[in-house]
Amino acid sequence: MGTRIELHLFGTAEDGSMIEARRAIEAVDDALTIHRPSPTTALNDSLAAGSPAAIDDPLLFDALVEIDHAYQAMEGLFDPAADVSTGGAGWNMVLFDREDARIRALRPLALDFGGFGKGFALDRACDVLRRADRVSALLSAGESSIAVVGEHPLGGRWPFAIPHPLQPDRILLELELEDSALSISSTVGEGTYAPDRAPMIRPGDGTIVTGRRTAVACARSGARAEMMSTALLVADGDQAKRFLDGEPARRFLFDFTGETGISVPPAETVIR
Amino acid sequence: MIDKDFDLTRRSFIDHVLKASAGAGMAAAAPWAAFAASAAPGQKDRVRLGVIGTGDRGRTLIRNIAKTRNCAVAAICDDYEPNLVKGRALVPGGTPAFADHRAMLDAGGIDAVVIATPLHVHAAQTLDSFDAGVHVWCEKAMARTIADCSAMVKRAQDRRKVLQIGHQRMFNPTYLNALKRVKAGEIGPVTQIRASWHRNTSWRRAVPAGSDLERKINWRLYRDSSAGLMTELATHQLQVGNWFLEAPPTRVIGSGSICFWKDGREVYDQVALVFDYAGGRKLVYTSLLNNARYGCEEQIQGSKGTIEPELGRIYQEKPPGVPALRKMGEDVQAGRKRPVPIGGATWFPELPVTTPGESLGWGEYDETMLQFEVFGEAVRSGVPAPGLLRQAYHASVTSLMGEDAMDSGRPVDWPSSLVDI
Ligand SMILES: NC(=O)c1ccc[n+]([C@@H]2O[C@H](COP(=O)([O-])OP(=O)(O)OC[C@H]3O[C@@H](n4cnc5c(N)ncnc54)[C@H](O)[C@@H]3O)[C@@H](O)[C@H]2O)c1
Repeated sequence: MGTRIELHLFGTAEDGSMIEARRAIEAVDDALTIHRPSPTTALNDSLAAGSPAAIDDPLLFDALVEIDHAYQAMEGLFDPAADVSTGGAGWNMVLFDREDARIRALRPLALDFGGFGKGFALDRACDVLRRADRVSALLSAGESSIAVVGEHPLGGRWPFAIPHPLQPDRILLELELEDSALSISSTVGEGTYAPDRAPMIRPGDGTIVTGRRTAVACARSGARAEMMSTALLVADGDQAKRFLDGEPARRFLFDFTGETGISVPPAETVIR
Repeated sequence: MIDKDFDLTRRSFIDHVLKASAGAGMAAAAPWAAFAASAAPGQKDRVRLGVIGTGDRGRTLIRNIAKTRNCAVAAICDDYEPNLVKGRALVPGGTPAFADHRAMLDAGGIDAVVIATPLHVHAAQTLDSFDAGVHVWCEKAMARTIADCSAMVKRAQDRRKVLQIGHQRMFNPTYLNALKRVKAGEIGPVTQIRASWHRNTSWRRAVPAGSDLERKINWRLYRDSSAGLMTELATHQLQVGNWFLEAPPTRVIGSGSICFWKDGREVYDQVALVFDYAGGRKLVYTSLLNNARYGCEEQIQGSKGTIEPELGRIYQEKPPGVPALRKMGEDVQAGRKRPVPIGGATWFPELPVTTPGESLGWGEYDETMLQFEVFGEAVRSGVPAPGLLRQAYHASVTSLMGEDAMDSGRPVDWPSSLVDI
């Protein structure tokens, strides 16, 4: 995954759930990595050759189901195809048959699960921890993906503060989470540290997002939060409005390019 | 150092080599190491060596040969009187000295030659020596052309003689230990080696006034006698690259120039090359003669870590932890609940990681000496130490194909017509 995953566990988790959670993360990495031979690289070989492939790996299958669903829901703004940015084929060139677990690309392409993979891994680990009794945990993949399980160890929700990207002394957004996930995507500081997100590419026309934006998305699922924050970042004005209108307390988009932000966040927002 | 101390140092050194070469996969990757460590030369008759070329390197070799327990310098040769005189000072009085290597070969009384002359004469001297029935230890790089390198290998095979080339890193316990740790998977699959040898020196030697010795003394600077940085420096590191990447490159592209030392030299004072290896792996090489900041190093990079053998260190890839989360843990312990700042590091520049790493160990090396003990045993048994010549041959070919790529401005493929070893 190339990202450090941290797992902070509090409370009376049953023995072994920490290890089980870690294994869940490693299993996702093993299934979705493209940096060593994996079910995903095998799939990519088929997609590149234009030949149909059966998806035998259950984690890869679940990931594709999630992505296929999100692709529709997010108007194509989240696209897992690796070269969609350089004019290559995107997910719309993929025929995915859920019933038969078969997949095929109409034009050669390769998938790169990137940030989605981080969120998806956090989800699997959270599932493990939720099955353990009365547990309270915080998981992070890098600094941009967070998931919490249960209540804060001292009770109530988990408070987070997202610093202003241009003025680190200022807080951009404060929010509280309980049993949910948070993802931050940003173009600000382009060319600096943002290994799997910079430059951000708009899937529709392959243009680079040049605006100075930060997007924040919360969802029960880390994978969905990841995909939504990515989609928000590349969305045009109308699309962004549609996404934000539905979920004013769970999705935020800050535009530092002009004077006015698209979303003016309340100082404190509660997420359930 | 008194003899007993030296013997102790020597023994612990061999121990290190043994330890380093005992790892999984090492028997195949460095088959000569076990041979080197187990070769326990007794105080039998020493193998008699005739040293050809008593310049800078030749004299260093003479000193190292004197430390071995199975070799002795039995004759020396140099066609430049001032250097022959310096060589004489290092050997017992009465050691025969020659101005011509053929005269030395004709005189007999040696089992093998040690060649430390300029690159372009290595091949002829090697072939003459084999034809005279003696074994050959020759400095790197092997020869000025790939065809000459091949001819040396072929002649050794035809005459059933030992040909060993001076690539001392293969006997260096730090390198052996580094390889062992790579084989154990500690730094993950190695996908790129970034190697460089940067010096700040003209490489030019003073020539006696009024003499016509410029091309002889400064042989490194002229095309007839040298491929410059490629055969003098890069060849060592390309040997390391091929060794750690387990095969020679498939192709190379490169660019060279005379950029700083515009003093009439013919060889590049600056080179930059990319060697492709199977599976998309690469060795990125630079060498130059007017900036020493980055010195000599091979950065062996895997997905889990990096090894820098010259520095003797191994580094693990660990994405930095999130300090805010550590702080949160402490807060909870102290019964405090406050907002966790998150997302901040996303905007920090991605600077090189400067963790100190961990030592690969062992500071005192005697690899040059060990090379000769191994050579001595090989000469005695008539059987070369396994694996060495193949490494050296491929290293020389790799450096010469790099020269070709720079000269032609075109990618050059690994030659298909090499001699099998
Ligand atoms: N392995 C290493 O780390 C290492 C280090 C330095 C040099 N070397 C190698 O050692 C070799 C010599 O380098 P050097 O720096 O000692 O060069 P040098 O110029 O100091 O010495 C070469 C000597 O060979 C003599 N010579 C030239 N032609 C001769 C001939 N036909 N017959 C007899 N003698 C002849 C010269 O007079 C000179 O004394 C080169 O191949 C070089 O690449 C290896």
